[in-house]
Amino acid sequence: MREELERLKTDALNNISEADSLQALEQIRVQTLGKKGALTQLLRGLGKVSAEERPALGVLANEIKTAFNASLAERRDILKASALNSKLADEALDISLPGRQPNEGGVHPITRALSEINAVFGRMGFEVATGPEIETDWFNFEALNIPPDHPAREMHDTFYLPTEPDEPKQVLRTHTSPVQIRVMENRQPPLRVIAPGKVFRCDSDITHTPMFHQVEGFAVDEDIHFGHLKGLLETFLIRFFERDLPVRFRPSFFPFTEPSAEVDMGCLFCNSKGCRICKGNGWLEVLGCGMIHPNVLTNVGIDKSRYSGYAFGMGVERLAMLKYGINDLRTFFENDTRFLSKYAVSGI
Amino acid sequence: MKFTHQWLLDHLDTSLSPVELGERLTMAGLELESLVDRATGLDKVQVGALIDVGKHPDADRLTVCKVRVGTENLTIVCGAKNHKKGDKVAVARVGAQLPNGMKIKRGKIRGQVSEGMLCSTAELGITESAEGILILPPETEEGIGIIEALSLNDHTFEVDLTPNRGDCLGVRGIARDLGAILDVPVKSMHTEVAVDPTVAERYPVEIRIDDGEGCPRYSGRVIEGVKIGPSPEWLVQRLEAVGLRSINNVVDITNYILLDLNQPLHAFDLDTLNLPIIVRCATENEKITLLDEQEYTLTPEMTLISDTKRPLALAGIMGGLQSGVTDSTVNILLESAYFDPIRVTRAGRRLNLLSDSRFRFERGTDPEGITTAIDRATNLLIEVAGGTAGPIILIDAGTWNKPKPLPFDPDLIRQRGGVDLSNDQMIGMLQRLGCEQLDDGRFQPPSHRHDLRLQEDLLEEVVRVYGYDRVKTVLPTVTVSAPAPDPITERGISCRRIFTGYGYFEVVNYAFIDPSLQKQFDPDITPLTLMNPISEEQSVMRTKLVCGLVETAQRNLSRGNNQLNLFEIGHVFLKQPDNTIQEEERLGGLISGPIGPRAWHSAQIDVDFFDLKGDLQGLFAALRTPGIRFATGGPDFLHPGRKAEIFSPRPGAPMGWIGQLHPAIQEKMGLSQPAYIFELNMEGLRNQAKTNPNAPMISPFPAVERDFAFVVAESVTAQEIITTIRKVSPKLIQHVVLFDVYTGDNLDQGKKSLAIGVFLQSESKTLSEEDVQPVAEKIISRVTSQFDAQLRGG
Repeated sequence: MREELERLKTDALNNISEADSLQALEQIRVQTLGKKGALTQLLRGLGKVSAEERPALGVLANEIKTAFNASLAERRDILKASALNSKLADEALDISLPGRQPNEGGVHPITRALSEINAVFGRMGFEVATGPEIETDWFNFEALNIPPDHPAREMHDTFYLPTEPDEPKQVLRTHTSPVQIRVMENRQPPLRVIAPGKVFRCDSDITHTPMFHQVEGFAVDEDIHFGHLKGLLETFLIRFFERDLPVRFRPSFFPFTEPSAEVDMGCLFCNSKGCRICKGNGWLEVLGCGMIHPNVLTNVGIDKSRYSGYAFGMGVERLAMLKYGINDLRTFFENDTRFLSKYAVSGI
Repeated sequence: MKFTHQWLLDHLDTSLSPVELGERLTMAGLELESLVDRATGLDKVQVGALIDVGKHPDADRLTVCKVRVGTENLTIVCGAKNHKKGDKVAVARVGAQLPNGMKIKRGKIRGQVSEGMLCSTAELGITESAEGILILPPETEEGIGIIEALSLNDHTFEVDLTPNRGDCLGVRGIARDLGAILDVPVKSMHTEVAVDPTVAERYPVEIRIDDGEGCPRYSGRVIEGVKIGPSPEWLVQRLEAVGLRSINNVVDITNYILLDLNQPLHAFDLDTLNLPIIVRCATENEKITLLDEQEYTLTPEMTLISDTKRPLALAGIMGGLQSGVTDSTVNILLESAYFDPIRVTRAGRRLNLLSDSRFRFERGTDPEGITTAIDRATNLLIEVAGGTAGPIILIDAGTWNKPKPLPFDPDLIRQRGGVDLSNDQMIGMLQRLGCEQLDDGRFQPPSHRHDLRLQEDLLEEVVRVYGYDRVKTVLPTVTVSAPAPDPITERGISCRRIFTGYGYFEVVNYAFIDPSLQKQFDPDITPLTLMNPISEEQSVMRTKLVCGLVETAQRNLSRGNNQLNLFEIGHVFLKQPDNTIQEEERLGGLISGPIGPRAWHSAQIDVDFFDLKGDLQGLFAALRTPGIRFATGGPDFLHPGRKAEIFSPRPGAPMGWIGQLHPAIQEKMGLSQPAYIFELNMEGLRNQAKTNPNAPMISPFPAVERDFAFVVAESVTAQEIITTIRKVSPKLIQHVVLFDVYTGDNLDQGKKSLAIGVFLQSESKTLSEEDVQPVAEKIISRVTSQFDAQLRGG
């Protein structure tokens, strides 16, 4: 009996270690410990064994059973792990396949530039104001110190809309400066406002489109001087273009500012050395500005002896072209999705 | 405004280089547009003599020339026709690189050796175009460089002037301004004229001003016995250097003075005039033929120079064809006048007539300078054309004023200008600009500075002379405030964020469109038409965004971009019955083509109505603007069975539409695939999420889902059923989804099956079967009775 038990143990443990699947293992369990299993049979025969031998054999049989079960469990774990591994191996993906992407979208590069401009001025405490695109002669010209026969009107190439003789003349606004008038007519200083929007000029060639975008900005407060305007716009340009740039102010003329200045910044493309884009002189003209003309303050009912202000204007397309490296103005309005996909950004 | 360095030096002593001068001009507000070294590329061009001109043996149009340049003899093949033996010519030697970039090499032309090139003025960079090669005067010294022979050791400046600086439209004006900046006085001019009083006896000229508003000041002078002929070389070269062609000595002098002193002059042929000269308003419909050989019809607001019989010149703009100087002119009447800027502007605009003279009078010339100009012109004329000068006849209508004296407030200048200057420094600067300080401290601007009208103008002058670049740059100190954001900007930002997140590209289309396009989409609305459009295609203001969106789609499709998800935010312009204009901000969109890019993981499906509707519903949900309804209806340019009108929660207020572009219009507009479009008024799209104070309670108890399938007539809309179901128990029913729509084999004709999931949830407990069952029964009974529906599968 003892030999039989010992042999059974050896065989069963051998079989377990050789089992190569969970089914085979289960079969060994049934063959050994099932109702008709070998060990079960042997244990049944224990009753026929002499009483002196019985306890020792019983202990042995239990040891065998425990060892068998332990071995079985160990083998099962191994086989399970290997079965899982082979299943996972079968499930492997070609991770080089492209993922399911949502459609790409984005705001137009003009909106992108506008929001970047707004963001810089917003951080400097400017609020945004908007106005209509069709304006009266008063808001677009007269209130801005541009009387009817002023030569400056010729700088503007205005689009006119039909009007009855006794009605105020209507024009497509040639700049967003009328918003300056609208804000100042309704509010008192201190004011810090930028006005982005579409503007229209009767001009169309490689470097002009009859519609484009402008940001006009202004501030009115006590003790504002020309040096403040320089500081503000230098800071703006450095933040907007995200790099240190030389900036220069030179005298110019706008009817609604006095003194007036054009602002040039060092050419981004040649580091001011002189290239095709800056026409060889190292400077790019990017802004117009000046101290608000006293006639304008008077026109909107702001006390010019107490307050002074500055105003500035910039072409959004021009800034966008310089910042993003767009080289043809007209592509902005063709809205080719390949162009949009290259220059648009998601969210604003 | 163009001038040369040498010309400038006639008026100003300065040792600054042309480059430095250009820099100073720009920083003085006289922006340098270009600076050209006239000698560039001409160092290897010499004066040569043609010692022989022979035919090219193998080319009819070419000549083979023997050219002597100093001690050398060269053979040069030339294609020009205007040269002959003995001519002095400009020879570009081998190795020269001309201003236009052309490199001269030794070579063979049709088999003949050529050792250089005979140049035209265009090739030398002197004129823009030329016919034939340059033939130099016979006395030109042979062998010298062309730079020396033609005085090309000079630079041409071009400055871009702002409209307020009309005073700098003459070289002397530029010199005056530079002089103020550099603190160098301008040189004095030779203006003393040897007048012969007997000229006035022989030619008594009377001048009368009837239109004192149009012509405040007029001066004339007779010059007797001039000899019309070619101008001397120096004059021709000066004019050519700034782009003017020489005409004859008298005309050239008037042009020269215009460029030099910014005073347009006119020379009449005295013997053709029927004196006296009358400066008057034109009569209505009066006609005059001007030097451009065009006849113009005038109005009374235009000023004329006339004699007793006919108009002679259109004041300040152009001379008449019949009274001008000709080759046979002997006696001239020279005119130097001050015409009113506004009147000249109006006349010029009305006649659409541009001239150098108009350009200057419009910007304001110097009323006091007219006699200086006529004196200077007289001296030059006598020098180049001979003759004897009579006295000046000066008529002053008394209708002009010197610029008003301006208050001088040094503190204001320091404070607003941000400059740190003493009073004396400022006074010095203003005096250098020609302003005179009066005893009361005010400043009298000079008569040539019409732009100095306010004390702020003095401020600008001081800062300008001081230098903008020297003003200390500081950031302003401000009072912090936090104004409410602009709601119009904010709603635009919200919509852009949402649509770009959905994979749409924003487009920006022109606000003016083709009238036929507008009519296609808005036949019942008369658009606003521009009075002066760029072209017919951009002549009316858009009344719908869809016009531009469909055009953009067409352009993209024709370029092969077939997956389109586009939106635009912009104004449309509507004329109201009372003729006022309403501008409305709209949001429009268009989708077309495959849902996503072609990919391995899914079949390509094209977008349809529900993709677009879903995006709009997503927009409304994200903006927390509930109650927006889609209802049957919509404009005619949409597919009749695939369109809807969109209504805002405000009862009955339409806010837009959605649908498939009508296939007939799609075809007409050349769209290769169906497109789905919408347009909404932005008024209804304010983002409510930011201002919603009633955050809904989130129940911690589980939800129960019950599904129902109802068979109803096809005419019943899903929306009606869903609304009915919601009303059964608004408290417990959290949401209702339509998850299947089926028509087909197992159903009767005209019927459809709608599968609807209902989610019930309580805020206070876990729902039991007893809670749910009565609600489910109520749903079934309401839907079946209200819509004649049958519950499917019981």
